This record gives sequence, structure tokens and C-alpha cells, in this order.
Amino acid sequence: MNCELCHENSDAYRAGSLPHDLRIQVEEHLKYCKNCAEAFRMLNLAEKVISEEKEQESNPFLSTRIMAAIEAAETNIPQNSPVFVRILRPVVITISLAVALFMGIMIGNSSGSANNGSAVPLELTLINDDDLEAISLLSTE
Amino acid sequence: MTDIEIIDNILEGDRNSYTILVERHQTMVFRTCLGFVHNKDDADDLTQETFIQAYQSLKSFKGEASFPTWLYRIAVNASLNKVRRSSKFNFLQRFESFFGSAKGTDTAYPDLHTEDPENILIRAEQQEWVQRALDSLPEKQRTAIVLSKYDELSQKEIAEIMNTTEGAVEALLQRAKTNLREKLLANEKNIKYDRRKK
Repeated sequence: MNCELCHENSDAYRAGSLPHDLRIQVEEHLKYCKNCAEAFRMLNLAEKVISEEKEQESNPFLSTRIMAAIEAAETNIPQNSPVFVRILRPVVITISLAVALFMGIMIGNSSGSANNGSAVPLELTLINDDDLEAISLLSTE
Repeated sequence: MTDIEIIDNILEGDRNSYTILVERHQTMVFRTCLGFVHNKDDADDLTQETFIQAYQSLKSFKGEASFPTWLYRIAVNASLNKVRRSSKFNFLQRFESFFGSAKGTDTAYPDLHTEDPENILIRAEQQEWVQRALDSLPEKQRTAIVLSKYDELSQKEIAEIMNTTEGAVEALLQRAKTNLREKLLANEKNIKYDRRKK
């Protein structure tokens, strides 16, 4: 009995439907293999949680609700606006985001062009006035 | 009356006969939906949605598969659509469900006078682990596990619902159990590590 075989037979072992010899082999393996014992414990836990969950029952008046909804649909009583919720709303949100993004770019570009007229050329910003000699000294006349 | 006879009556105009079909198959549809959403109210809503959809599609039911098989398919599709919608628009809830307590899932509320509060907390925690682990399985594995564990269907019945072979269903169930086991073990190790840190 190896781990793979133990995993394959764990469901049947839990259900008590394994032949006697195989059941003994699985039990022996679970005694000595810590990993398989842990894995078996986890799957037992999952089974237990699922069984508890399954004890819940559906609403006893559900059939009445269903027939009322079917009747309403057949007599064309609008109960919600699925078209707006499903299609138009996401489209409107996407368009609004796109317009907001576009306007942001336009505003950013227009503020950049407003400064362009008074922008100082890069060459002038690199000049250190202290290093400049008086122009009169350069003149030979 | 068989399901086919009731459907024939409904198609001839006897709408009220549909109540018989609903009451006959309500529990199985509810359990299927519960396996996906783990919440009684959501499962009730999905059950209602499934039966309404089935009623509106009755004319297209050809009888190639049995009515319960056809109904299971509608229930599974409705549940998967609900799960996909929830995961698309609830990113924060998904992060919360990974790192904190999952919202909207039902936990058992036992009698506080007879049960140790620590046991209650442990049980609620375990229930969350298992539900989170099930929800994180790939869709096909999750469908196979729900139909097997919640509806207690045979591999042959599951194969018919999922429109695949019995061998494929067996492989899906094996992989689902392996994934479930690994996620639960990893979760338990994380919880123990967090408790030691505290």
C-alpha cells in the first residue's frame, strides 16, 4: 500500500465499502504515514462540512414565488430594468471614464502650451553670470 | 404522472402543472446551487432563477436527456454565472475571503448553552476553510465535486450532465480531491503559523 493507492481508496474506506484486506492495508498505512493521515483528516473535515451544509432546506414557499414570477413575466409586468443594469450602465461608465481621461489630457496639454511663450531657452539657463567677462573687455576698439 | 406528461400538459396551456415539477425537483436544484454559493438565500434565488429559465425554455426541451439532467445543466450554468459575476465585481470581497472572514456564507449557529464557545469558533473556521477551498477549484472540478458530494450523483449521471465521459469525470473528481486536500492542508499550516506568532 503506497500513498497513491491510499488516496484512491480513501473515499471507499470512509464509506466502509472496501474489502476487508484492503481496509486493513489502508488502516496500517494511515497509522504510519503522517502525510496520508493528515490528508485523510482534511477530506473527512470537508465531508463533514458539506453534510452540515446540506441539512439546510430551501424556502418552503419557493414554488409560490416561482409561479408568481412566471405569471408576472407572462403578463408583461416589468419587475426590473435588466437592460439598463446589464448593458447601458457599464457602457455609460466606460464612456464617462474615457471623456474624463481625454479632458485631463487636453487640460494638461493646454497648460503646457500656455507656458511655452515665456519658457527660458536651455542655453540661457546654463550660463553662470559670475563667469562672464564684461563685453567691453572683449572689444578691441 | 411522469415529467414528460407534465411538460406536455404545460405546453398545451396548463401552466399550473409546473408547480408539480417545481416541488418534485426543488430540493435537488437547491442543493446544487448551495454547493456553489454556500448561502441559503442566494441558493433560493438561484433556484428560482433556474426554474423560471427552465419554464421559459420548455418548448426547446427535446427529451434527448431526462428532465432532471436538463434541469441540472440549467442550475449549474446559473450558479457558475452568478459566481463569475460575483468574482468580477467583488475584488475586495475576494481578497477578504482569502485573508479574512468570508462574507455572505452561512455558518452554523449551535446552542450556546450546550456547546463550548471555542468549539463553535473552530467549527465556523473549519467551515470557512472548506468553502474557500471548494470555491477556489477550477470550474469543471468544482462542478464535478458539487454534483458528486452535494447531489450524490453517480459518475455516469455527472458525465451526462457535463456532457462528457465517465473517465473524464473520474479524472476531474480525483484532481478536485487532490487540490482540495492540498489547499486545506496549506490553510491549516497558515492558521497554525499565525496562532504561534500571536
